[in-house]
Amino acid sequence: MKFYVCIKQVPDVSAPLQIKDGQLIQDNDRMILNAYDASAVEEALVLTEKHGGEVEVVLIGPEKASETIRKALAMGAHRGTHILITEKQKIDSAVYARILASYFSDKEYDFIACGKQAQDTDSGLTGSMLAEHLKIPYVTNAVGLDYENHHLTVKRQGDIGQEMIELPAPGVVTCSNDMNEPRIPSLKGIMQSKRKEVNTLTPDELGMKMEDVEIKTRILGFEEKPGRKPGKKLEGDPDEIARKTAHLLDEEAGVL
Amino acid sequence: MSTLLTYISVNNGKIKRSSLEVLSRCTQEANKLGFKSAALIIDENATQYSSQLGSYGLTKVYTVEGPSFKNHLNTPVLKALSAVMNRVKPKVMAFASTEGSKDILGALAANQGIPALPDMSEFEVTDTGVKGKRPVMAAKIISNVEAEGDSVIISVRSGSYDLINLPSEPEVESVEVDVGEDETKSILKEIITASGDRVDLSEADVVVAAGRGVKDEEGQNLISELARLLNAGIGASRALTESGAYDPSLQIGQTGKVVSPQLYIAVGISGAIQHVAGITNSKVIVAINKDPDAPIFDIADYGIVGDLYKVLPPFIEELKKIKGE
Repeated sequence: MKFYVCIKQVPDVSAPLQIKDGQLIQDNDRMILNAYDASAVEEALVLTEKHGGEVEVVLIGPEKASETIRKALAMGAHRGTHILITEKQKIDSAVYARILASYFSDKEYDFIACGKQAQDTDSGLTGSMLAEHLKIPYVTNAVGLDYENHHLTVKRQGDIGQEMIELPAPGVVTCSNDMNEPRIPSLKGIMQSKRKEVNTLTPDELGMKMEDVEIKTRILGFEEKPGRKPGKKLEGDPDEIARKTAHLLDEEAGVL
Repeated sequence: MSTLLTYISVNNGKIKRSSLEVLSRCTQEANKLGFKSAALIIDENATQYSSQLGSYGLTKVYTVEGPSFKNHLNTPVLKALSAVMNRVKPKVMAFASTEGSKDILGALAANQGIPALPDMSEFEVTDTGVKGKRPVMAAKIISNVEAEGDSVIISVRSGSYDLINLPSEPEVESVEVDVGEDETKSILKEIITASGDRVDLSEADVVVAAGRGVKDEEGQNLISELARLLNAGIGASRALTESGAYDPSLQIGQTGKVVSPQLYIAVGISGAIQHVAGITNSKVIVAINKDPDAPIFDIADYGIVGDLYKVLPPFIEELKKIKGE
């Protein structure tokens, strides 16, 4: 079974954030493998370990993001492809999907997995855009995967419950981080990753002229969220503060 | 005249309030700019819901119905949406942000070759497209965004807009869509629903959510009792859906559901940013936690510092008195 996993390097959202003149100041030392993508890598590894096959990771990003490819290789992915763009190239989900679609156009695979969204933008568009470009079926928001006879049985978290969906190969699946606990690379894995093959490409080599690409969505700037302020904090005798809060909800907040 | 078209989500035989919120906003924008506001229902029995759309200032309701739309599956829904969009050519195609719309937004945008702005908290229609705000970085900050195009797809977070009351008698037009069985390449085998007749979390007026502090059955019973008393939906933090104590569909946060109730009660939840990302649209937040430094207190309107096992029984008892039970 050939699994491709599309991964992205993102800022660690748990790190403190700073906005200056409408721009987001990111700590370059706190860039990580997107947690949803890490779950996709883990799931692909588990399935190929069980059923045989190979996992290849594909990343679009600047040079620095190659450390994230190494992370996935240290987890156990067999090889990587780095599609190089510059720090300055601000591309949106649509362009991500276009570049990936060009990359996959001449590839053979059973499944392409990716995170259901990136932790920084939370857009969640790329996976299904890619499937539409490749004209193959897809399932989003997977919380469980199983493989049998050239199809995946995907447990998808839907609006009213968990949908069990049969996805034939070739297909795209986007993963939630609820499905597994991504492995921490072992020392051996880290050593081995250094010898694994990483193929570097540019969008140009895939037939995408970046200067001609029309980007239809733009980030104009960032601002602080009109934050919620802490309200009343009640401490002391549990019985007393519990009863007091009940009355505050009724008489002051008016939400009962 | 250009049309702003809103997709009406139907789950379990009910129109989702969040899609009516988006519809209300679209009608206001349409009226401001001299456009038409229309709705689209795709469901097994789409037509029967059109009569529930009489107070949103609509000129038209499009319906696509048939057995293929009994349960959500992306291929037939995408076909129906593309067919209606090709016909109506809406200036804006708007969705409430649900698991169903998240499933098709990207594919629809790619199919139509138009931009998409997902999960917005505010939007306005401009001459060139749409602009507005999106919470990003686990909803810690706001990103100001715009999309350019004759047609733009958007989705909107629940609780972002109020419902309007603008009576109208929209014309209902049924659109025939040939779904074509052979093209539906992924197959829905079954749906496993959370047990019991629970309140829909993303639509609930009151939500009681359990976190790591809820350690055992006694704690879960207190949560259930409180939820019953307030007619609340029950939610949980990731820790408790992962441990199996609560169904995964009840998870609230960046990964799970975004809720926007009038009253949110966080019980034994520390307030990790991924959880907070899903609750900041709540009107009033109550937090019960024994750690006075728990981050949840930074956003709680009422914070009770105490052991939930000691706080909940008198809290429930006092609420019963207030409610006259």
